Amino acid sequence: MASLISCPHCGTRAKEEFFIRGDATPVRPAPMAGDDMWNDYVHVRANPRGRIREYWQHVAGCRRWLVVERDNFTHEVFSVSDAAAGRGGER
Amino acid sequence: MAYDYQAVHALDGMIGAISERRVNHLAAHRTTAIAMVLAAPGQTAEAAGILVANGEFEARFSGPGEWLVLSEVHAPETLAAELGLRLGHFAFVADQSHGRVALTLSGPDATRILANGIAVDLHPDAFPVGRAANVLCNHLSVNLARTGETSFDLVVMRSFADALVGDLKVMARSFDLSVDFATR
Repeated sequence: MASLISCPHCGTRAKEEFFIRGDATPVRPAPMAGDDMWNDYVHVRANPRGRIREYWQHVAGCRRWLVVERDNFTHEVFSVSDAAAGRGGER
Repeated sequence: MAYDYQAVHALDGMIGAISERRVNHLAAHRTTAIAMVLAAPGQTAEAAGILVANGEFEARFSGPGEWLVLSEVHAPETLAAELGLRLGHFAFVADQSHGRVALTLSGPDATRILANGIAVDLHPDAFPVGRAANVLCNHLSVNLARTGETSFDLVVMRSFADALVGDLKVMARSFDLSVDFATR
């Protein structure tokens, strides 16, 4: 696992400061979308080897949710960004 | 029926039995006015401006749009109300005076002691005086602020204060450290 994560708010920190909160790729369906779409969103996850996008929460630091793009085979980290920034949120 | 409540410090009975001062000293503050300030959505710059412009408050970075505010001027009972008055609708304020414990570590080996448990570069160029950050100290999340070349403030949740002092004693085992309540 990547040992250092560059938090956009706190700088480079050890991975022990973070919790991994799961896959960041599923997109929430519309509220009235079909049951199969909701089933896929809630339960179905791919398990790829290579480049993945994950939610990491900086629990021991700024406590923000981040999106970390990393390779789960080579442990290389490509990018770290605030999860709210990705959907046009504040901060 | 009315009850009388007595404020008891989280470290009462844990430290202070031996009153001494060695080269490196860890002082626990008896009463500290502390509040958490979270800027309203989109009002981070305005809230930060009000906090910085007012010399009565010391705002320490905790997260984006979020600060731990300490005050030497205001009492623990009044700080949150004073902040609420000044910040208005720009931010939300929560009193933390009895929820957190403030410690000051000072001495020539302060950075070396902290380096035994904190994985953040504490060189003056990377972490200058006035800088603050939430960091992991062993397994505890603490707010670390550099108040001088060789002095640091640690603000920790009240129930973790005993564990943090214990950790700091272990981290300082190869250095000369004394622990006591602050006299002020």
